[in-house]
Amino acid sequence: MNDERAVVGERRWVNAVFGLMAWVLGLIFFFPVFWMVLNSFKTEADANTSPKLFFDPTLDRYRDVTESAGGVLSFSQAFTNSAVIVLVSTLIVLALAIPAAYALAIRPVHKWRDVLFFFISTKFLPVVASILPLWILARNFGLLNTRTVLVILYTGMNLPLAVWMLRSFFQEIPRELIEAAEIDGANLRGQLTSIILPMAAPGIAATALLCVVFAWNEFFYAVQLNPVSGSTVPIWVTSNVSTRGDFLAKLSAASVLACLPVVIAGWLAQKRMIRGLAMGAIK
Amino acid sequence: MAQETADALRVTPGPVKTGRSVSASWRLRLPLMPALVFVVLLTQVPFVMSIYYSLTDWKVVPPGPREFIGLDNYQKLLHDHFFGNAAWVSVEMTVASVLGSLVLGTAFALLLDRKFFGRSVIRTLLITPFLMMPVVVGLVWKNQMFSGLYGVVNWVIEKLGGTPVEFVSRYPLLSIIIVLIWQWTPFMMLIMLAGLQSQPSDVLEAAKVDGATPVGIFRQLTLSHLRPYMELGILLGTIYLIQVFDQVAVMTGGGPGSTNLPYFVFERSIGGGWAFGRASSYSIVVVVASIIIATVALRVLSQLLRGEESA
Amino acid sequence: MTTVTYDAATRIYPGTDTPAVDRLDLEIGDGELLVLVGPSGSGKSTALRMLAGLEPLDAGAIRIGERDVSDVRPRDRDIAMVFQNYALYPQLSVADNMGFALKQQGVPKAERAERVRETARILDLTPYLDRKPKHLSGGQRQRVAMGRAIVRRPAVYLMDEPLSNLDAKLRVQTRTEVVEMQDRLGVTTVYVTHDQVEAMTMGDRVAVLKDGVLQQCAAPSELYHRPVNLFVAGFIGSPAMNQILVDNRRPLQVADCEVELDGPADVRLDGGEGTLTLGLRPEALRVGDGPLRARIRTVEDLGSEVFVHVALEHRGANLALVSKMPAPFTGRAGDDVGLQIVGTTYLFADDGSALGSGTGRLQAGEPSSAGRSQ
Repeated sequence: MNDERAVVGERRWVNAVFGLMAWVLGLIFFFPVFWMVLNSFKTEADANTSPKLFFDPTLDRYRDVTESAGGVLSFSQAFTNSAVIVLVSTLIVLALAIPAAYALAIRPVHKWRDVLFFFISTKFLPVVASILPLWILARNFGLLNTRTVLVILYTGMNLPLAVWMLRSFFQEIPRELIEAAEIDGANLRGQLTSIILPMAAPGIAATALLCVVFAWNEFFYAVQLNPVSGSTVPIWVTSNVSTRGDFLAKLSAASVLACLPVVIAGWLAQKRMIRGLAMGAIK
Repeated sequence: MAQETADALRVTPGPVKTGRSVSASWRLRLPLMPALVFVVLLTQVPFVMSIYYSLTDWKVVPPGPREFIGLDNYQKLLHDHFFGNAAWVSVEMTVASVLGSLVLGTAFALLLDRKFFGRSVIRTLLITPFLMMPVVVGLVWKNQMFSGLYGVVNWVIEKLGGTPVEFVSRYPLLSIIIVLIWQWTPFMMLIMLAGLQSQPSDVLEAAKVDGATPVGIFRQLTLSHLRPYMELGILLGTIYLIQVFDQVAVMTGGGPGSTNLPYFVFERSIGGGWAFGRASSYSIVVVVASIIIATVALRVLSQLLRGEESA
Repeated sequence: MTTVTYDAATRIYPGTDTPAVDRLDLEIGDGELLVLVGPSGSGKSTALRMLAGLEPLDAGAIRIGERDVSDVRPRDRDIAMVFQNYALYPQLSVADNMGFALKQQGVPKAERAERVRETARILDLTPYLDRKPKHLSGGQRQRVAMGRAIVRRPAVYLMDEPLSNLDAKLRVQTRTEVVEMQDRLGVTTVYVTHDQVEAMTMGDRVAVLKDGVLQQCAAPSELYHRPVNLFVAGFIGSPAMNQILVDNRRPLQVADCEVELDGPADVRLDGGEGTLTLGLRPEALRVGDGPLRARIRTVEDLGSEVFVHVALEHRGANLALVSKMPAPFTGRAGDDVGLQIVGTTYLFADDGSALGSGTGRLQAGEPSSAGRSQ
């Protein structure tokens, strides 16, 4: 669409200057991440002195954080927990949100705007407000320190966003395709599988990715309801901060490991996610 | 290619209406039910419970009887200046981060809107902060960037001839705001980028032919086109930023002037206060305030949706 | 026997006061190709969608055969529809597109493949069976859309401006093919278009709609020669019929000439209030040395015929008329010419209804105060 901006008559150097500015500012903006990765390969001594660009790299810190530190939480446990929780909750979100989006976009119920408002309004309720009752309910149902409670909560956390985004993706589908399918005899399931899902696949992927990002990075619910055995990666990361001795390099290594899956997924699916965020959020 | 086909095939996107029987309307509602019921249960039940607790004097530690005390908690709340402080901090934090990330995000979007060498690389780098774990971001900035001893920011300050500052201790709220802006700029940037790229190119071309300068075009055409996108960015940004907890918890632990409402409620309840009754009353007030703000925001939202309907 | 009946069918969009389709009554015979035509907003597409079940009825009923389908879901009505933008399933191949409905109906694979193959053969689509819609040209996509409908062998075909997106030449060519196919298959067809040429050349009967109200439903020649009101007269035929306002008294006056009209319309002039409209098709107006003075504005030479646009003063205002003259024509812009009536003259009442027609003739009248003014 509007990808091309350099036009006839605009001096070349103007574009080059802007390009240079973008590079400089972009690199500065990215710097903290870059430095964090650099630190993860240093010894604690190197990391904790005046910023050093050149050093002898070592993988020791990575070894330190992934070995089961005596006590609370091991790396593999945390990662497994997170992976399972995030995957399961995202699948449930999709399973619930796709039909809901259908009911709001393609064959809308009469009050679809109100329903959409309601979904979004649940996001306005501060998370802190509901944590006490949730904690009590979790305790009564024996769900404290389990993965299940987080699966449930993350599903609830991501559902409004998923419904919102999927609805606008489904709206993109030309009305006539649905009408044609309707006339051709397809029922809800047929329309979904033959037409809607294939056409909205990029949007569904973008939505799923966003849900994964939010669920993977979530800290508050995890730490309130699962301080010990059901713990997730965010909690594991914080356990690498110690009051004794230097920890920056270890923290950096842990941080890199913690962020890597989602960042890589985000980078790869970048175009899709951008399109998804833009379309899903805008419309 | 598929997108072009879809565009070419499309007449008007929109809902499909058929039939008029009563049972049909129930069939329409059915797919919506599971999601709706799930969300209702998960959000409304705790809410009702909170209301009930806020009317009691329940303390969990040390365990005591749970007596109904009516609106006592709310009365005490009105005089609780800690609560007032927390509310004020929330406002400062949210407004500063939303606006800061919006401005920075728009600036980056304008830069990225042009084609230049390595554009997708820069874009990839720029979205990374948003993908990162908030606790990681908080810890990394606290220990690596802001640290008084070996923080990178202080190294730069020294090189420029200033004196190093222990940021997190001296300026806790500011430190948190900087971190939030850093993390949410990509989000705003993406929204604004979508807005910039959805500008109809023929209108811009007409303006150029008519002799408008780039600044003129920006002020008169682009800004008004971007308005709904800015509103959306502010809306969504506020929803998320008002609830910030992670960065406060790991960076300052609620240190001087940096306790916002979520952290405040946390402190008074599971974070050590264990006064569930009092804490619930805070929660309810926050909810009511959020609803009021939300109603205003939703009015904006409905205009967006209505604009979409007539489009 | 699949007839289609609209019985006072009405559709009012929520939030509006005027019906989009107002008590439409139509009886479409078995095997007939009926065209619904009208300007945009006339309700023709809405009427078609009501038949498809894509719009609900607010009053009245629609019957397919003997069966009242007013409340029946589209997929149970045994209809097939061709959409203006074709609505092909983008990720299915041509063969799968055509076989989609059959698959939904549970037709066994072998039979499905056979029917698809046969239909593809009829439409010259066989080389494209494995392609996806995005790899087809507009004309090919149009044929796939037709094929998708044909392969189903439904009781009724519905077509919503299926040719509108083709370029002009392809449109003319495809028009004939569609008519031949419909003739051969003998399936009742309801066809919507805004193009009156398409309507006239394709329909067994044509139903003209305006603002949701049926104006006239008749065979093309009937519409052309005996329009029932001014709207139909002006809508059908291109260039449009010339319309001249005249006072309701004898003799009828155009500029400084009188019109001698012989026919039933003549009787109706009662000298009352109101302005009538005199209608002349371009071929009924001759440019030459007739009594009515006018000046040529432009000459459109199409080779086999010539359209001459003239202007004159009538009732104190500028009146523009079109005349269809056989080629060759020697007049040029700016020439002064004389007009004469050589064919059917129509007369319409104040409210647009037809009063009748007859042979008309202009003759120079007594110079009077009415007519020419400087």
